[in-house]
Amino acid sequence: MTTLIQEVEPEPDSAIKRWLVSDRGATISAAVLFLVMWQLLTLFAPRVPTPWAVVKIMWIEVTGGDYGSVRRGEFWNHYAATLQRYAYGLAIGFTAGVLVGALIGASNIARALISDTVLVLLALPAFVWAFLTTMWFGIGWQAPVLTVAFTAFPFVAVNVAQGVRAITPDLRHMSTAFGVTPVKRFRHLILAGITGYVFAGLRFAMIVSWNGVLLSEWFNGQVGVGFRTRYWFDANRYPGFLGWVISFIIFVVALDRLVLTKLQARAFRWRKTNDELDKELLATVG
Amino acid sequence: MAKVTVSKLAKLFPPPIKGGDVVRAITNIDFEVDGNVFVSIVGPSGCGKSTLLNILSGVDTPTSGSVTVTEAGKPAKLGYVFQDARLLPWRSVMDNMMYVRDDASEESVANAAKYLSMVGLDHTHEMFPGQLSGGMQQRVGIARAFSVEPDLLLMDEPFSHLDAMTARSLRDHLQDLWSRTRKTVLFVTHDVMEAVQLSDRIIVLAPGGVIYDDISIDLPHPRKASDPKVATLQAEILGQFENMQIPAVE
Repeated sequence: MTTLIQEVEPEPDSAIKRWLVSDRGATISAAVLFLVMWQLLTLFAPRVPTPWAVVKIMWIEVTGGDYGSVRRGEFWNHYAATLQRYAYGLAIGFTAGVLVGALIGASNIARALISDTVLVLLALPAFVWAFLTTMWFGIGWQAPVLTVAFTAFPFVAVNVAQGVRAITPDLRHMSTAFGVTPVKRFRHLILAGITGYVFAGLRFAMIVSWNGVLLSEWFNGQVGVGFRTRYWFDANRYPGFLGWVISFIIFVVALDRLVLTKLQARAFRWRKTNDELDKELLATVG
Repeated sequence: MAKVTVSKLAKLFPPPIKGGDVVRAITNIDFEVDGNVFVSIVGPSGCGKSTLLNILSGVDTPTSGSVTVTEAGKPAKLGYVFQDARLLPWRSVMDNMMYVRDDASEESVANAAKYLSMVGLDHTHEMFPGQLSGGMQQRVGIARAFSVEPDLLLMDEPFSHLDAMTARSLRDHLQDLWSRTRKTVLFVTHDVMEAVQLSDRIIVLAPGGVIYDDISIDLPHPRKASDPKVATLQAEILGQFENMQIPAVE
């Protein structure tokens, strides 16, 4: 007996379904769902400000309008102060992390002596550094800068060490056999080999140390995003407090999605499969 | 035209376990290679073949004895093809070719491209090693070694990790490249058929790193694995191996 099975062409997904499962669609629908849930929550919890109340107060903060009897908005001043401290702290933590990470990766003795300490530092939460640096240096710019540096340092060091160890002895032997110069080795073997790991470490360091700078400013700042968040908290004005909290979440997510993820993907481009690179090429040519 | 002189060369490794015996990788061997010849070093696993190449390339040092590799009285330039391709995974194929070259001039790039073309990899210049098959990666490794215009080319079982068909194709590529360039080649393999097909001379190492035999192959190049003369010679040499008496170590 022969059974004939008629070939049925599968129906394509609807445009709405395709949009919903696309990256952009999923992000936008998640945001809309979050706002709807938030608005619903305010119906049952009067202490929670509505999204619109938060937008209104942040608009005044950003544009420099006033609140009548309350201080004028100073959004950009606070962000500029925080970003400056954040940049200095990252520069210190990143540099130290690369140097120590390279040392741990390259030397077994250094690894035995330092790597456990670095792991302990990795386990220390940012708020501990915020407390400690405030106790050491008091109120001023040093505490936030060093909180960022101490928080960022172990993430960079651990990743760089891993990157250095990933450069196999086989590749070093190959370089020796061909008589490759030390300068060329450093550039193409060591530096290029660890670049992806450096970006991975930097990405974690930037995300975690952002919390660090805000916490430090919360405890001891007189200016900055953390300080301004605390200002609204102390004033018992929840829309302002929540607005600033949301602003620094948006900042770190945007930093990650728009800068860090792309830089890391670029640095690890060589790890991609042919299919992924083909897709990238197709996207480029439209 | 490189000259290789190996004199009373020995290499010992520390015992692998505490209280064990030292490992004799190479035991007092002497040989010379002079001229544009293709020499294979054949022997079972662990008889010191790769150690010998590592010492010749400067990657490893001998326990005693000496090796000199010269070209017209000066230190010779070396090229090396390894068991695996050993390409920098984060650099493109062309960047890998340029990594081992002394200069980055247009002429140098063109030269590297010429060798990639000789092994059939014209289209891969901008690709990363991870995008290539194992056979293609090994072809890059071969092109890289030839492209430095070495006086002596060291090849350490370059086809042992590849499937039979790919290895056969690469042997043909290698014979073609060698016919055009006539470099001095020291080729390590455990495959007698491969050695007979490619070489002018076969040095046979026995376990313990001693020279068991030194055989000249007087057949014209290029040779096919299916050539009856190659097959006959291969059978003769394999017959000798069956009766291999390992010389006593002094």
